[in-house]
Amino acid sequence: MFEFLFKYPPAIFSRGKFVLLSPWPVWVMALLIIAAGAGLYWNLRQRHTLLTNLRTGIIWFAETALLALLLFMLWHPAISVARLRPQQNVVAVLVDHSRSMGIADDGKPRLQAAETLLNDELLPDLKKRFQVRMYAMGRDAVRIDQTQGLAADDNATRIGDSLKHIASEAGTMPLGAIVVLTDGGDNTGGVDRDTISQLRQLHVPVHTIGFGPDHFAKDIEIIDVAAPARALPLSRLSARVAIRQHGFSGSKVKLTVRENGHPVSQQVVELKPDAEQSETVLFNSGAAGAHTFQIGIEPLDGEQNTQNNFVVRLVNVAEKKMRVLYIEGEPRWEYKYLRRAIVDYNDPAIDFSGMVRTTQNKTYYQVARTGELANGFPTKAEELFGYDGLIIGSVEANYFTPAQQQMIRDFADRRGGGVIFLGGRFALADGGYSNTPMAEMMPLRIPNEKTWSRDFADVALTEAGRESPITRLEDDRASNDARWKKMPQVANYAVMGEPKPGAVVLMTVAEAGHRPAPLLTIQNYGRGRVGVFASAGSWRWKMLQDHTDKTHAIFWQQFMRWMVTETPGEVVSSTPHQVLSDDTRLPLRVSVRDKEYNPVSGATVQTSIVRPDGGSDTVSLKPDPLESGVYTGEYTADKPGTYVAETTAHQDKTDLGRDTLTFRREDGVAENFGAAQNRDLLEKLSSDTGGSYYTPANAKRLSGEIAVSEAGITSHDNLDIWDMPILFLLVIGIRGGEWLLRRKWGVV
Amino acid sequence: MLFSAHKKDMRLRIAILAVLLCCGFSALLAFQAQFKEYRNEEDNPAPVPKDAFEKTEWTFARLRYPSGRYTGYDGERGSWPTDFPKADRQFLQGVRRLTKIHTRSVEQVIDLVNQPEEIFNWPWVYAVEVGHWDLTDAQCKLLREYFLRGGFLMVDDFHGTFEWGVFVQSMSRIFPDRAIVELPDADPIFHTVYDLDHRLQVPGLQYLYSGKIYEKDGTIPHWRGIYDDDGRVMVAMCFNQDDGDAWEHADNPAYEEKYTSQAYRLGINYVTYAMTH
Repeated sequence: MFEFLFKYPPAIFSRGKFVLLSPWPVWVMALLIIAAGAGLYWNLRQRHTLLTNLRTGIIWFAETALLALLLFMLWHPAISVARLRPQQNVVAVLVDHSRSMGIADDGKPRLQAAETLLNDELLPDLKKRFQVRMYAMGRDAVRIDQTQGLAADDNATRIGDSLKHIASEAGTMPLGAIVVLTDGGDNTGGVDRDTISQLRQLHVPVHTIGFGPDHFAKDIEIIDVAAPARALPLSRLSARVAIRQHGFSGSKVKLTVRENGHPVSQQVVELKPDAEQSETVLFNSGAAGAHTFQIGIEPLDGEQNTQNNFVVRLVNVAEKKMRVLYIEGEPRWEYKYLRRAIVDYNDPAIDFSGMVRTTQNKTYYQVARTGELANGFPTKAEELFGYDGLIIGSVEANYFTPAQQQMIRDFADRRGGGVIFLGGRFALADGGYSNTPMAEMMPLRIPNEKTWSRDFADVALTEAGRESPITRLEDDRASNDARWKKMPQVANYAVMGEPKPGAVVLMTVAEAGHRPAPLLTIQNYGRGRVGVFASAGSWRWKMLQDHTDKTHAIFWQQFMRWMVTETPGEVVSSTPHQVLSDDTRLPLRVSVRDKEYNPVSGATVQTSIVRPDGGSDTVSLKPDPLESGVYTGEYTADKPGTYVAETTAHQDKTDLGRDTLTFRREDGVAENFGAAQNRDLLEKLSSDTGGSYYTPANAKRLSGEIAVSEAGITSHDNLDIWDMPILFLLVIGIRGGEWLLRRKWGVV
Repeated sequence: MLFSAHKKDMRLRIAILAVLLCCGFSALLAFQAQFKEYRNEEDNPAPVPKDAFEKTEWTFARLRYPSGRYTGYDGERGSWPTDFPKADRQFLQGVRRLTKIHTRSVEQVIDLVNQPEEIFNWPWVYAVEVGHWDLTDAQCKLLREYFLRGGFLMVDDFHGTFEWGVFVQSMSRIFPDRAIVELPDADPIFHTVYDLDHRLQVPGLQYLYSGKIYEKDGTIPHWRGIYDDDGRVMVAMCFNQDDGDAWEHADNPAYEEKYTSQAYRLGINYVTYAMTH
């Protein structure tokens, strides 16, 4: 219809330039339109005095518009457009043959639908005008002569890499346009900016034809799982699972974590009417070593694709013990029971050292290592930074020298350690912590007055606390809530000020009839973490419950794990993709710091990678020019399986440290996800490169529109538009409308 | 209509009453006993300081237990308040002066007969003259649970073979599976605040009259104990000695300072040990 009314396809108008070919200037046309309008107005006022102003105005407008339209047509309007010269240009046609193209949406596989469209409708037209080069697209673009025999068997789709490949050939051939027949299921997360930029520079439009439905009628898919890459032994871990579903609103499904095929955690969740939702699932990290967890939703009957219900996440459970120092300014029951929560259970993850001031001049030490704390609380950063976590009890702020106060702040900020402040008569506001560097790192504002109270009070979880692995005593959320509701009261508490932006309150405390105040609040601070537990009365959770009850120990073990799990060493290696799904490239990033945790430039950083077959490779990392102390590199994982990467850093023969990272390459997985058509990606790709997106139904237009391109060998044509049928219809419409109105108003 | 309004009013009243009852019940559960005087049972009265009701981290918790069935030492008040409350309050003064423990000025009596569950609010308790105690099965069970949760008991002022036998008779019902052992000098309990490798036999006041620093056939002092599974002392026994008298008579010029000093040091070590192990 568009072409019937406007003579040309829409692409001519969107990519061409409007021009007036008449030798007369435009201002003459404008002047004539104004003069004609004025003359018509004068004439109407003279002849139709009986008409109302409105009716006179309508007739004047119709007659003026008609005259303006005719003058416009006389000025010879045209569209100036660059068009590919027939048979002198190449059109690259890419046919996606990844596994997702094998999905039969309407009884016919997508690849077969693409082949039929291409061979029956597109190719005959394209070949009349252009030279056509065909490519099979999967991990890369591979030249093919015909699509027959092409199987949907490639484990991945990399549209960006394939386009880059084609663009690189543009220098040796007159490439006029690229046509991509795909479902848009790209496994690299999209087409990168460099590729788009390269195509724009070459002016090569990419036309996309999308196959497959925008979404399946009945499907549950795991979009992403955010799980910690590192953990300590026997830790409760939290994974945030993003779920997308269609056709199962209101269904109750099992969110499961499996290891080696066996469920290690499971909870029931209700699928919400919205297509996407996030849920949290908790599970245990297990013993030291590399653990591979499958996290997802148990398949339901009637699901169209059950291969996208689970994703794999790797968790490196460290073998080393994290060092925690607890300083207490006075003997308190909290110290005794908190220490017992760790040492009684031979916690494999934590080395606990404590120091308690027993008298004004005496301190009692209970240290994990011989010779530790020989000179009291550390006075040098190197010594304090040897710990991973720090607990500060009821000890006055001025017990610490100004340098030590600053060092405690740096412990979280620069070193990346975790710090927990407890309530007490010499702690927080009562201990004079306001206006110290330590106040700045706390997640709550410190009141100006003393607020320590030895009254018993109830504790309660907040919404965030119900989800947090710190306060999770039972895997099941409802059971956990019930257990906290029965929790014995704490024996004392301090009222703190408002939480700071970014802080999360996990628990509140309140005496009967009082407003709840934050009890347990956490936040990230610099590279580390800071928590405030505004009480020293959790010992009653042990003494007021049966001796077999582990509530108190579980809480403190989890809280301490939160404190130290992410405390980095001097050398830390990381990668954004710990599981390479049908991918081979592993970006590596290593942060190197000295004993005082200042960034180290000029270090020699190498990563030795043990392959699944037992062989090894070495990657030398280069300093990141943008970030001091950071070294980057890339490794190609050629084979599927688990890889272990050990990074070492040296400077002037000094060993700066080492770190181990595990990653895994999995094949045959990526195509199961995002199997519906990624229309957004295809539309954006076309729009960014000057091409158009088509459905199979309207793809016939492609051969007409594809000629409009500035790439390859082109000629500039001026296409007349004064004779567009729409203009003649307008002339007839305006004149006819005016006549009808005149008849109605009796002024014919 | 009227009936409906009346019914609604009744429901509201019942709901308010239920809430109040629940609050009351919760308060009862949450209740931690405050300081209370036992005037009729005091052995050696002492003035009640003004700050007796101060809320603190720790205080001297004295066990009020049944006694006398085997020893005839029952009388009106039994053996539990021996030296009470003067010994308690004088020891508390020492703890306040010598340590950083936030301490109340008066003791807390833990009534094992009438309010046994209260013991769980006081992780350190003291029992005197345990050579006369006579615990019921329920009390033995409660004390066992108390120790397993982390409670600590210091027993004192019992002497000789007979009283030891009476004490062990109850103790073996609390812990039939755990041995009573001599605490070695190297045990942390003798080193938390003061190093007490060399200890004296602390006599009761009677030594001033009898000239003997021991009572009955208890000529040799023993510092014994029962350990938990992690090697920590749960029950510390000061056998053939009388630290309670040493605290009680700390202000008696005739009572030798060396005994008082050791009793204070030992008591402080035991308290500090219980709060750190």
